[in-house]
Amino acid sequence: VTPAVKSPARSRVTFRAPLAALLLAAGALGALPLASCDRTVTPTEVLPPLQPASLDAGAGSWRMLVLTGPEQVAVAVPAAVGSDAYRAELAALKTAQAQMTDARRRAVAYWGGGGVLRWNQALRELVARYNLPPAPRPDGSYPVPDAENPFADPNFPFASPPYAARAYSYVSVAQYEALKAAWYWKFRYNRPAPTRADAGVQTLLPASDLPAYPSEDAALAGVTAEMLKLLFPGAVEEITRKAAEQREAALLSGRATASDVAAGLALGRAVAALVIARARADGMGAAGGTSALWQGFADSVKARGEVAWASQEAPARPPMLPGFGRVQAWTMTPAQVLALEPGPPPSTGSALMKDELAQVKRAVDGLTREQLAIALKWNDGAGTYTPPGHWNDIAAEHVRDARLSEVRAARVFALLNVAMHDAAVGCWDSKFRYYNPRPAQLDPTIKTTIGLPNFPAYPSGHSTFSAAAAAVLGATFPQGAAEFRAMSDEAGVSRLYGGIHYPSDIAQGKAHGERIGAHVLQFARTDRVE
Amino acid sequence: MIRSLPISGLAALAVVASASTGSAQAIDDGLMLPARQVRLGVEYGRDRWDRYWEGTLRRDNENIGTVTTRSTTVSAGYGLTSRVSLFATLPHVRTQASQGVLHGLRGWQDVTVAAKVRVLDGRVSSRARGSAMLLGAAAAPASDYTPDFLPLSIGLGARRATARGVVHLADRSGLFAEAAAGRTWRSTVHLDRPAYYTDGQLVLSDEVAMPDVADFATAVGFQRGRWCIPVMVVAQRTLGGSDIRRQDMPFVSNRMDFTRLQAKAMYTLPRLRAITVMAGAAHTLAGRNVGQGTTLSAGLTTAFRP
Repeated sequence: VTPAVKSPARSRVTFRAPLAALLLAAGALGALPLASCDRTVTPTEVLPPLQPASLDAGAGSWRMLVLTGPEQVAVAVPAAVGSDAYRAELAALKTAQAQMTDARRRAVAYWGGGGVLRWNQALRELVARYNLPPAPRPDGSYPVPDAENPFADPNFPFASPPYAARAYSYVSVAQYEALKAAWYWKFRYNRPAPTRADAGVQTLLPASDLPAYPSEDAALAGVTAEMLKLLFPGAVEEITRKAAEQREAALLSGRATASDVAAGLALGRAVAALVIARARADGMGAAGGTSALWQGFADSVKARGEVAWASQEAPARPPMLPGFGRVQAWTMTPAQVLALEPGPPPSTGSALMKDELAQVKRAVDGLTREQLAIALKWNDGAGTYTPPGHWNDIAAEHVRDARLSEVRAARVFALLNVAMHDAAVGCWDSKFRYYNPRPAQLDPTIKTTIGLPNFPAYPSGHSTFSAAAAAVLGATFPQGAAEFRAMSDEAGVSRLYGGIHYPSDIAQGKAHGERIGAHVLQFARTDRVE
Repeated sequence: MIRSLPISGLAALAVVASASTGSAQAIDDGLMLPARQVRLGVEYGRDRWDRYWEGTLRRDNENIGTVTTRSTTVSAGYGLTSRVSLFATLPHVRTQASQGVLHGLRGWQDVTVAAKVRVLDGRVSSRARGSAMLLGAAAAPASDYTPDFLPLSIGLGARRATARGVVHLADRSGLFAEAAAGRTWRSTVHLDRPAYYTDGQLVLSDEVAMPDVADFATAVGFQRGRWCIPVMVVAQRTLGGSDIRRQDMPFVSNRMDFTRLQAKAMYTLPRLRAITVMAGAAHTLAGRNVGQGTTLSAGLTTAFRP
């Protein structure tokens, strides 16, 4: 395209400058609200430098979930503060601090927001990135993501809600175990932070009386990187870089010397190895099931005279992780999982079901803008951090505002994510026991305002996750309990507004989630945390 | 459960713009309204696609089948002087997918106001005249629709400011040629959810930054007597944004590009000289993160001096 304004000298050009100027001014005036309007994103969940309200000096004696005790992984006696070796480390640290770059300063500020919170954000990002269902092959079949070939199409993993619930729980539990162990050894050896040992070391992050050996930052980096590499093997490069950056930030901030970092890293990795051993044996490998397994579900439901769930996707997609109900829970035996589950849904042929179906149809066809907003707010579908991620998002701001120590922050996320993993196990077990059809299957005129999940309806996973999460968070942050309950109820009803769940799915899911939440809280009361 | 795009923001704008036709004096062309003339119009358009570009991969999707977007656009134009024309348009949009379970949406989309100023006008040869115009437009959502249900959202929800230059050459015989280039600046949009993933990042905010958009158009046509028949190639290039990932949903700030061929015929009725009828068709030749739409449209305008 040639420039529009070129003055052809030969032609009789008329150009009424004043008028054009006037009109351009008018145009500019019209554009003013736009020019002055927002063009950049305002982030939420900004993390200021963490200054823990308490040292939590007793955390080394808090109950372990996977480890037998804090001494299961030994940490060698550190060099004394007065030793030549330690003085050499301080000198090296001061030299490194003298050579800070802007990038390193930014990294220190980033990790200063709190390692547990930062890794939680990073984990939510990984879940969102990997939460994409495989595309069908030309023949209508679906490939299965392969852990041994994570970069292929489809990527491994498909971080669906149950996969994500388990991932959040493993990372959080492993961090919690590693930090309790780190706290134990910290207060056993009591080696101070470099900034306390040598006034020449700059303090770039808020200083505390927390002993530095082994470094909690390095323990977190070590344990988290190992867990994430197991769960998201395709992201290994990014994970490794991030963990190295956290360790370097611990050093450059004046919080740890090289031996503090080395001991923390070794401890974190050793704890991860113990947790990974549990993960490899928890039944997840079989959760994808086989076509014989899901045909068995359908047959048993049909034998009871009920309509069996069928995938509404085209081509029909195998149901999401039908064997997830048999994955090991954190706080429950298989018998306890079963004992807390809800009874059956209304029969697909019953008047009650007909009435509920009509309620879904009415809701979705008469949706107000506010109801649509609720459906979209809690959608948490493909490409998002999933419902468990949403509750981590909610928890993060409370953890930040409460200025929890790293170990106590890890405890909050561990309990929250243990509850949601256990909710996922119980919910999936129920879903595949009853194999109940979605509203759009029983009435094809029902259209949804969010994506239709590709697994049976009863009970609602959102309601189960959310009620369990709200129970745990409410007990942890009592001042927020009413708000958490309201959010949980909103998350539940959002599925009715979305046109994807019957009212009884939501009510029974909520009650189930509350029972699981109460069970996890009972478990938490025995963990020796003051 | 995968879907894809309807008409993107500017494609919608192009559909909108073509509403205020008549003898083609509209937002997106190089013609002016006569001084003190008022022109009111209504246009109906139907865009359909069953193929879309997931990034650069052209594909279909049995979970949406064919996506149909119907729009009814009301428009008004006013010739402030012979060199300054003002325009306003407002489409009502309705979307629908032929397969799968997703609910269609409907509502008033974005109101656009524009001023077109002829800054140059003169004879460029013994047979031809040339003119150049500058256009400034502002657009904002006219209702609280969600941009977070693509491809069935009725619009992208951003407020926009557009600047566009148009050069128009007309031969005595009635043949004309036109070229235009523009840029649109877009505000952030707000979603109903607290976080989203795009462009390799989880963004912990309900607010989405929208990349700017460039548009180019070139047209040839015939305008004489009661007839005006332009044929245009319109291209949109989004200056940023990410591709739809494999088997992902489209997202409001995706890089939405397209090249469309469109043709229109406008005819002013012999008995009712104030009325001009229009029929048009358009087809997307190439695209990225948009549906490969084919649009049919029809409309009429009435012009008068109050």
